[in-house]
Amino acid sequence: MIEASFMSYISLSILLFSLGIVGLISRKNIFIIYMSLELMLNAINLMLVTLSKYFADIDGQIIAMMVMAIAASEAAVFLSLIVAMFRLKKSANIDDYNTLKQKGTL
Amino acid sequence: MTDILFLILSLFALTGAVGMITLSSTMHSALSFVVTVMALAGLYALLSASFLFMVQIIIYAGAIIALLLFIIMFLNIRQDHTPKEPNKYMTMLLIAIVLAPMDYLLFTAFARMPHIEDFSTKIDNFGDIKMLGNALFRGWLLPFEAISILLLVALIGSIVLARKKERR
Repeated sequence: MIEASFMSYISLSILLFSLGIVGLISRKNIFIIYMSLELMLNAINLMLVTLSKYFADIDGQIIAMMVMAIAASEAAVFLSLIVAMFRLKKSANIDDYNTLKQKGTL
Repeated sequence: MTDILFLILSLFALTGAVGMITLSSTMHSALSFVVTVMALAGLYALLSASFLFMVQIIIYAGAIIALLLFIIMFLNIRQDHTPKEPNKYMTMLLIAIVLAPMDYLLFTAFARMPHIEDFSTKIDNFGDIKMLGNALFRGWLLPFEAISILLLVALIGSIVLARKKERR
């Protein structure tokens, strides 16, 4: 039986972070890449809150709140960038976002 | 009781994350991510972070994911807009194999930390809004102000980036 110990929270956080990396690298849909980034931030937040409980120190929760604020501002900028790029390319595939690539090489 | 709640919530979180990175439809994958976010909010509540529990539901599920769903519906993402990924499971397996040593390293590093008894007990008023506010406005005042300026910059930047170019 799994119990709610320190190591199980840490393991869950490590697993969620790895799933975020897997989604970030393997998918080509820009929305899923964005959600994988958010998943990695969430996993880090879970680890911070767990360590805050472990050391009985409130600072971990405050850093988690700062991470949430940064995630919110990142969401605004990232999604507006997606809107601008989708207007230009009519596609959510990251392989189509190659305007900066030098033509003829690679 | 806490163990059963932890088991259910972590299963929900992992299932939502796996669904998010494997489902092919963008909308389904975003809805699957909502499950993960809500399960993580429940885990914060179990870790006696009652204020972060509310913040997670309000900011993540209420603002960030709602904004994401709004953008997906606003842009009307159809099946022909999203890439076909015929061998995504193969890539996922390869990356998982590469990541396994890092996970093992992290796990053993954390397993060597001194063990504390009875992790799930609630310390009185730990993590409620009064304690968090006291710490935030005493020791963390400068980072708090920096974060508020960052949010203002992100607000202006997103308006500038998403605006249509006017014709001259």
